[in-house]
Amino acid sequence: MKTALEVKNLTVKLSGKVILEDINFSVKKGETLAIVGPNGGGKTTLLKTILGFIIPFKGEIKLLERPPKEAIKTGKVGYLPQKNNIPKRFPVSVLDVVLFGLVNSKLSKKEQIERALKYLDYVGMLDFKDHPFSDLSGGQQQRVSIARVLVAEPEIIFLDEPSTGIDVVAQESFYEFLKNLKETKGITVVMVTHDVGVVAKFVDKIAGLNRFLHFYGHPKEFFKKDILEKLYGSEIELVVHSEECVACEHFRFKIGDKRC
Amino acid sequence: MLEILTIPFIQNALIGGILIAVLLSVLSLFINIKNWSFINVGISHATFGGLALGVYLGVSPISLGFIFAISTGILIGYISKKGDIHEDISIGILFSISMALGVIFLTLTPNYTSDLFSFLFGNILTITKEDIYLLTIFSIFTYIFLWIFFRKILFCCYNEEVAYTTGINTKFYYYSLIVIIAIATVLAVKLVGVILASAMIILPAATSSQIFWHYKKILISSVLISIIIVLAGIFVSYQYNLPSGATTVFIYGILFFTALLVKKIRQGS
Repeated sequence: MKTALEVKNLTVKLSGKVILEDINFSVKKGETLAIVGPNGGGKTTLLKTILGFIIPFKGEIKLLERPPKEAIKTGKVGYLPQKNNIPKRFPVSVLDVVLFGLVNSKLSKKEQIERALKYLDYVGMLDFKDHPFSDLSGGQQQRVSIARVLVAEPEIIFLDEPSTGIDVVAQESFYEFLKNLKETKGITVVMVTHDVGVVAKFVDKIAGLNRFLHFYGHPKEFFKKDILEKLYGSEIELVVHSEECVACEHFRFKIGDKRC
Repeated sequence: MLEILTIPFIQNALIGGILIAVLLSVLSLFINIKNWSFINVGISHATFGGLALGVYLGVSPISLGFIFAISTGILIGYISKKGDIHEDISIGILFSISMALGVIFLTLTPNYTSDLFSFLFGNILTITKEDIYLLTIFSIFTYIFLWIFFRKILFCCYNEEVAYTTGINTKFYYYSLIVIIAIATVLAVKLVGVILASAMIILPAATSSQIFWHYKKILISSVLISIIIVLAGIFVSYQYNLPSGATTVFIYGILFFTALLVKKIRQGS
């Protein structure tokens, strides 16, 4: 299987301070990776460095087998920022937002609209196509933004805290949707998230990041006390949710010290 | 009433006024969605530094005004991007420095007798044929540029980082938009003064967006509103012997608050 993303010996400094140090990992095409870790641990910095917004102090990044800035120009990279990065009351419709994803497309106007409508249908937002984008709820905006990313038919997508502003029930269906995306379209997904419990059952790999890459592997191996302590500090308290736990049924890893 | 249309300087004022009105109202869409309402104020005041330096050195004030405005626009963008400073802060810093320089240059200029009143309010009734030619050429250039790249520029305004990741050269569009706004501002300041230029680039889209939510309707109604207001301003000021710039700004203001009231009533119902 080909490699979609390769990060080698990456060190990133911002304002003279080391944010990321000696990071190494690779993501194969079609895999789903969740980058988790405490606030300030460098998750978003890593994402922005991979996308070429930040120039690394040391190391090398290959995105779709190219340097990030070249990979971006191919139009095969999709990016969904945090919800609060979108200006309030921006005067566009839902359809306009999806069409932004085709701004470099060679398709005719009619073909662009047809494809945008197809992806709006795919994310279940077709009925809202002529609504003001800014009037939608957080979850609806995320779905439309996903359609905007997918409409360009990218090979790899990057999501920064995709569940921000979405309630717990909607988060479940959102991650289910992402899993389905990987299975049906073979798209590589890299996401930054703090919802480690929610996301764990939907991804192939987890990267535990706090300046260093403390863990990289299968989600089941991630939920070990020593790994979590290294990542989040020694004060961490593990709460294990049973199969029957109704309040938090999304979390089904039987590890740790307590039961809910 | 209609006989005033036969007066050459009124004809120039009408044509020039409409050209400026359309140009600035089109740009006002971007000013509003980028929250750049202060940028025009900053650039127009920075122009003053260039004009004053021109007077002091005895060279073309308007040429130096252009140089100051474009440099200020680019610097605003550069400082905001590199220094993590919001555009409004960098605008405030740059325009106050440029205004201060302007005052120093004028103070140092021997036998300087002009007042600053024309700089503030301009006089739309003094527009010449040459001004109209210059404005026409620049307007055509701007409309072609926006026609070709409108969606990309709008996408950059929506989210620059996202636009970049789709392969768009966001820096090019960001600086192009700032330079276009800077040049339009200098042209407008020369013809209608700082205050009216600011009103003409902020108020059209600000007014339209109280009534409409989609950019196409905001754009079209902004242009129509501006044309009507500028024509009304010229006629009213001529008829009642009032200053044209101040009269036009006042009408813009009335329309904005009317639109705001209509919006509140609609929301209430």
